Amino acid sequence: MAIIDKPPALPAGEPRRAARPLGVFTRPKEQAGISAWLTTVDHKKIGIMYGSAALFFLLIGGVAALLIRIQLATPNNTFLSGDAYNRMYTMHGTVMVFLVVMPIGAAFANFLMPLQVGARDVAFPRINAFSFWVFFFGGLMLNTSWFLGGGADGGWFNYAPNNGVAFSPSHGIDFWNVGLMIAGIGSLTGSINLITTVLNMRAPGMTLMKMPVFTWMTLVTQFLLLFAIPVITVAQLLLTFDRRFGANFFNVQQGADPLLWQHLFWVFGHPEVYLMILPAFGIVSEIIPTFARKPIFGYPFMVFSGIAIGFMGWGVWAHHMFVSGLGPLSVTAFSVATMFIAVPTGVKILNWMATLWGGKLILNTPMLFAIGLITQFTVGGLSGVSHALAPSDTQQTDTYYIVAHFHYVLFGGAFFGFVGGVYHWFPKAFGYMLNDTFGKVQFWTMVLGFNLTFGPMHILGLQGMPRRMQTYDDAMGFNFWNLAATIGAFILGVGVLMLLANVAYSYSKWKAAGRPNPGPDPWDARTIEWSIASPAPAHNFDVDPVVTSLDDFWHRKYQEDENGVVRRVHTGAEIAQPGNPEGVHLPAPSYWPIVLAFGIPIIGYGVIFNLWLCLPGALVVIGALFGWALEPADDLDAPGHDHGQDGPGHDGSGDHHEPELETV
Amino acid sequence: MAHTAHDTDTHHGHDHAAHPTEKQYWMVFVLLVALTAVEVAWSFLGAEGPALVIPLLVMMTVKFFLVAGAFMHLYFDLKILNGRLFTWAFFGAILLAGAVYAAVIASFRFNI
Amino acid sequence: MTDIGIPVEESAAFIAHEQELVHETGHASSLGLSNTKLAFWLFLGSECLLFGALISTYLLSVGNFVGQVVAGNPRVLATMPAEVMNEIVEKGSVNSFFDIPFTSASSFILLMSSLTMVLAHKAVSEGNYRGTKIWLSATALLGSTFISGQVYEFTVFYREGLHYDGNLFGSAFYTLTGFHGAHVTVGILMLVALLIMAFKGKLQADRAETVEIIGLYWHFVDVVWVLIFTVVYLIP
Repeated sequence: MAIIDKPPALPAGEPRRAARPLGVFTRPKEQAGISAWLTTVDHKKIGIMYGSAALFFLLIGGVAALLIRIQLATPNNTFLSGDAYNRMYTMHGTVMVFLVVMPIGAAFANFLMPLQVGARDVAFPRINAFSFWVFFFGGLMLNTSWFLGGGADGGWFNYAPNNGVAFSPSHGIDFWNVGLMIAGIGSLTGSINLITTVLNMRAPGMTLMKMPVFTWMTLVTQFLLLFAIPVITVAQLLLTFDRRFGANFFNVQQGADPLLWQHLFWVFGHPEVYLMILPAFGIVSEIIPTFARKPIFGYPFMVFSGIAIGFMGWGVWAHHMFVSGLGPLSVTAFSVATMFIAVPTGVKILNWMATLWGGKLILNTPMLFAIGLITQFTVGGLSGVSHALAPSDTQQTDTYYIVAHFHYVLFGGAFFGFVGGVYHWFPKAFGYMLNDTFGKVQFWTMVLGFNLTFGPMHILGLQGMPRRMQTYDDAMGFNFWNLAATIGAFILGVGVLMLLANVAYSYSKWKAAGRPNPGPDPWDARTIEWSIASPAPAHNFDVDPVVTSLDDFWHRKYQEDENGVVRRVHTGAEIAQPGNPEGVHLPAPSYWPIVLAFGIPIIGYGVIFNLWLCLPGALVVIGALFGWALEPADDLDAPGHDHGQDGPGHDGSGDHHEPELETV
Repeated sequence: MAHTAHDTDTHHGHDHAAHPTEKQYWMVFVLLVALTAVEVAWSFLGAEGPALVIPLLVMMTVKFFLVAGAFMHLYFDLKILNGRLFTWAFFGAILLAGAVYAAVIASFRFNI
Repeated sequence: MTDIGIPVEESAAFIAHEQELVHETGHASSLGLSNTKLAFWLFLGSECLLFGALISTYLLSVGNFVGQVVAGNPRVLATMPAEVMNEIVEKGSVNSFFDIPFTSASSFILLMSSLTMVLAHKAVSEGNYRGTKIWLSATALLGSTFISGQVYEFTVFYREGLHYDGNLFGSAFYTLTGFHGAHVTVGILMLVALLIMAFKGKLQADRAETVEIIGLYWHFVDVVWVLIFTVVYLIP
């Protein structure tokens, strides 16, 4: 109820006609082409960039995976040396976790969260752009380690004391540290942005319990990010100080306990895995009701189980450390806590199944991928419960049984969900549909390849095949299933590439057909992002949607008649907002986010190689911060700025939005 | 939609307690200084173990809430719309952080 | 809006109220505080985790260090002068190394800077621009005094044998207090920026929230010091 009415809190926001002494301080004007993408602050474009960057890193991580599988296809193979193998699985894991799955989650979150709450953009658009660029440059920097430092080789979790200079003298681990810290800045600033947007910028009438499940799941994810990233940042800082400046945090000779690294890492690491899966859970919670033609079963339970996972995820980290020498009380406590945390996830699975039950199922590509997530995640969840029992985990840990578990939940779960999400929201983002038949072929290819790769790993693990071993002996009995897994991996690779192929194929068919527009609501969906044109116009909503219930858009289309029968009263296209940008004020694009993001890795290289290099990096950073603060808050000539804005009361801030609200 | 200059109170919402007066700020400060002095004195008094640590931690916590509540205005900000949600989230987060780190330290110190 | 069964008056009133908010303010604010303030509290939340990890690391590292000294580990004993080590063995803690009166004075200065900060905010929101400049300058000066005190303290410790790379105690102590000091320094830079704005006449009462948010940061840094002072210096 408080009235917030004040000019922006930052020095930017000078009166519009302030002098612009240097040309570089004007806001960029480009509307199209690569400059537009480099300077955009539009959350939808930023979401697309996150997704594209994730795809790029997916190819890198995927190639690493295939190289690993080639090495393991036959016993006593010499395709990769021990060192190269260490680098392969380290970079595969690191790239996939930090540079693929997390950014895909960020892509969906950035694209959808403002749309689903009825906002024009996020709370801080320039910071949003900065979050993307700093993630991207950090990820690139991490991958320059292949050429410059030998590639990180300590495993994606990088345990002490192996991660110290004594045992890992090359720069690979320094790149792991610094590159991930830089990318982590992006996650942190992004999370602050999205939480503020969802908590503070919802459309009129949208209470928290009327938000879509996807928005809730990603909100919990952002909170997890907000609190987990500082912990790994501290761990990485401590390690960097040890390696570069001679500190003793993990120096066993001085009495340090290397277990500190494990604790700090896994306090981050466990919330990390929940923040990888929750967005996919959210996606599935949108797809299934849409194509089962029923509302999600048990909406409050879905919301509260997501929140419960967010809280409980902080209390189970040491289940990654059962064999590290923890005392029996710790092990027991964490074992019990881990068993409990299966409950909220189980609630979700049951709710999805109850949503499917009795629905008029449309088994198109998004739906198939969503069902794929449910089944495969359940398999991974079941093996996870077996890990929760500390005695059995003592057998399973560091074997391929664990590898099977996390690939089932992360790939069979999260990644399948993400692909389903791509198919589902593709028309909203790009204005054309992906071919459904092609998608179904892709789905089954991926199912075959995925299960052929990771299913046998359960067997291999229980037979005793250890993780992170460069090769295995002929006489161990692992040959057959390893070969099967390698074949499966290549089939899976084809399946993943089919997504790119489908994009290209669908695009060319769409062009040939004269670029027909799929309309605002091709799936007859439930949430308000489908009430605007496809592709989503730059300004999102012409007028603020007024929300009176959960699935508000659906209830405007389908209502009960006098006999209590639900009938359609409108199609989506009839009641969608036409996409008229008249009278809308959008934030202007800006150079400074990418410039600031560019300066930070320079400091990073300085920390690794030569401290003098930090100086130019710091200068770029400080310059960019001043440019950011001092640039004109709004540029009359900037694109997206409509002429009706010169009236009194517009403070002209580039970072605030003033929706012209009219009653619908 | 004219933006007018605002006096002290309007930017804090419809139903909130007024800003602290200058006198109240000084009082909080004096209290903080007094607590610090007591803390330092207590640490020199020769108590050991829990008898030393617990009063110190209590005083530290009181100082924490004084600064957060009065200087950071949290006491008054909690009376806003959805204040209860905010309160729960804020204190939930602090409790969570404290519990996690306490568990980490405990598992080291007591080898449980 | 009647078509989903909600009585017209109820839904219309609710929505009208929200629309009135938007009209009045130009910005929707579902929670009742501005985006910037909400975002800053979230940031402070993440900083709690950061300092929590650093403080925990300090406690564990120093605990291990003292354990090694008491156990007589020669490699550890060689890292600092014998008198220091003997006192650690005798007291079972490193706290005798510190100069509590000096650090208490530093704490007092930082607490006072929090007071001046909140008075600065009060001044700017009341339109008292002379007072704003005075109290902001006072805060920046007190903050700088604190930092100088820290620097002096560090040089004394260094001369007494506590090196960053020497042993766990040095690494942990300098890292924790160094991070805090860096945060204070960033705060001072922000205060200087505010002062420059104030002297140019750009810090008006309608910008009071800027001062409030930088105040939030400053108080947070003070609160962290309250924790560090008790946990590091006072508790053995």
